[in-house]
Parts: sequence; C-alpha cells; structure tokens
Amino acid sequence: MTARRLSLLLLAAFAAAATGCAPRTAYLWGDYDSALYAHYANPQDSERYLERLGEIVQKAEVEKDKVPPGLYAEYGYALFEAGRLDEALTYYRKEREEWEESRVFMDKMIRNTQRLKENRPGPAPGGELPPPAGIPPVAAPGGEAK
Amino acid sequence: MNRRGLLLPLLGFLLLAIGCGGAPPRKDYSAFLAANPRSILVVPVVNNTTNVEAPGLFLSTLPIPVAERGYYVFPVNMVKRVLEDEGLSDPDLVHMADTGRLCSLFGADSVLYVSIEAWTAQYMVITTQVTVEFDYVMKDGKTGDTIWKEHKRVVYAPQQQSGGSPLAALVAATLQAAVTKAAPNYMPLARQANDEVINTPGVGLPAGPHHKEYGKSTNSGR
Repeated sequence: MTARRLSLLLLAAFAAAATGCAPRTAYLWGDYDSALYAHYANPQDSERYLERLGEIVQKAEVEKDKVPPGLYAEYGYALFEAGRLDEALTYYRKEREEWEESRVFMDKMIRNTQRLKENRPGPAPGGELPPPAGIPPVAAPGGEAK
Repeated sequence: MNRRGLLLPLLGFLLLAIGCGGAPPRKDYSAFLAANPRSILVVPVVNNTTNVEAPGLFLSTLPIPVAERGYYVFPVNMVKRVLEDEGLSDPDLVHMADTGRLCSLFGADSVLYVSIEAWTAQYMVITTQVTVEFDYVMKDGKTGDTIWKEHKRVVYAPQQQSGGSPLAALVAATLQAAVTKAAPNYMPLARQANDEVINTPGVGLPAGPHHKEYGKSTNSGR
C-alpha cells in the first residue's frame, strides 16, 4: 500500500517536473517539424503528411491565437495537392484572415485555385495538378529558370 | 592647435570605450531596424555537403524558432513547391534570384537564406563525432541588402561515462558509436544551432512584431 502510494507520488512529481521543464512556445506547433521532415524523407506518402498536418491544425485551433503562422496555408496546400480544392480554399482564407502578412500570397493562391476549379468541374482526381498560373516567373541570373 | 589638443583625448577615449567591452561585440542592427521586417520568407536551403537528407531535415527545423521570435514565417513547404513550379527547383537558383522579386512574388518583407556547410559524422575508434555547420543570411526585400547574418558550427561527441570498469565504458562507447553510425540523429543538433543563432542576445534575431519584446532597445536575444 505504502509502496504503491509512494510510486504514485513519485509519478506525480515526475509529471509535474516534466511539464514545468517544457519550453513554453507562443504557438502550438505539435510535431510540425517532424511531419515536414518525414514528408521530405518519404515524399510518396503524402496521405500521411496531409493527415498529420490536419491533426496539428486541429490541436492548435483549440486555443485561440495559438495557431502558428503559415500552418493553415501549409495544410491548405497539402489539400490542394490532394485535389481537394474547396477545402484548400477554406484554409487559404483562414490564413489570410489570421495573418495580414500572408494576404498578397494567399490572394494569389486563392485566385489560382478558383481558376483551376472553374476549368475542371467535378471532383478532382487529385495528384498531378498543373502548376498554378498567374504568378509571374522569377528571373534568375544565368537564365536557367523556366 | 587648440582643436588638435581636444581631438587627441577624444580619440583616446573612443579607443578606450571600444577596448573596454568585455562582452562579445554586439551586432550592428541599424540596417535591420531600418528595414523593420514583419515577415520572413524562408527559402529552401543550399546544400554544400554530400548528405542528401540534410536540406530537407534542416529546412523543417527553421520555421519554428523564426516564428517564435515574432515574425510571420511563410509556409516553407508550400513556398518550396511554388518555387519549383516557377522553375526554381534548385535552391542554388533561388539563392541567386533577385531578393526584391522573390519578395514581391510572396508579398514578403525579407528573405532568410541558409546554406549547410558541414553535416558529417566522423567515426573514431570508440566514439562518433557529429559536426554541423550553417550560414544564415537575411536580406531586405526593398533594398536587397543584407540586414542580418550569422555562422554556426556545432560539434557533438558523446561523452564517455566515467566510473565503472574501463571495459564497461569501452563497451558502452562502442555501442553508442554503433547506434550513431546506423542513424546519426542530426535533428537535435540542427535545433540547437538554430536556437543559439536566433536567440543569443547581442547577435541573434531581434524580436519581431508578434513578440512581446518587440521594439525594446535591447531586443536582440531572449
């Protein structure tokens, strides 16, 4: 009995210490960096990447003002790549709403996605989408860029 | 004559003032503060090593510490993919492209360019030494000028345990080397390098507009 109580106490103390030690961050990142890295290490498993980003968004949204900058857009783009254009638009708009710094970029992406939607009625097959049109190409010295 | 008499002690005082600083020299933040960026475009990293996994791993460790410093950080993977669609799939091309044009493409205030200079595991008899080295350069989107830069090298060699029999220590170290050899874990080292570079007072990134320390005079470092 006492041994059990002692071990419980120890556990509680350990838990408290562990919580106290965790560095406090301004945003709820979840395992965003690991999810990104796993995506680069194993790019063909894009479904898992999309799923993980979705989980991170869901957890971050629980607390107001804790959604990291760029996360809505990153998730929106993963949805876009999966051919889920309507959901992609929803998250691009969320990013735009939350972060004024994202407006120029998000406006472009929203326009491109809408145009793509109009050109391809019906459910998108997903996967190979043509590159977003309407963004002027950046010139690189050496002329090696498309 | 009179004027020169005044100039000399002044010069001496100036020299003294410079020489006196015991702390590491603070960076000149005037260009950074003038640019006053709200948002940072973190572009794909240039890889100057032979490790093919390094750029992906390192890029994924960048957004968190930069955003936590108070800046809007553009979604790194989305940015990478959009740049690829623009024909800039090679990070070297991205780093060579005009900063102003990159910024106008995304509506960004500044660009953070990072290159990996070392990413190696050196296998020794009983231990493995892991080395990472990075170059960070931040440029203003309006002028294209460099407004902040830093260089970081982190070396990690697992410590041999003291105590116990020498044989036990040898076995432990050999085991550790084997484990590191199979899959050296660079992630903690990359995170450590970023943390030191971004958060060290006097040399790190000044607090951005979303940080509570933003605008304070000593706003570089935590």
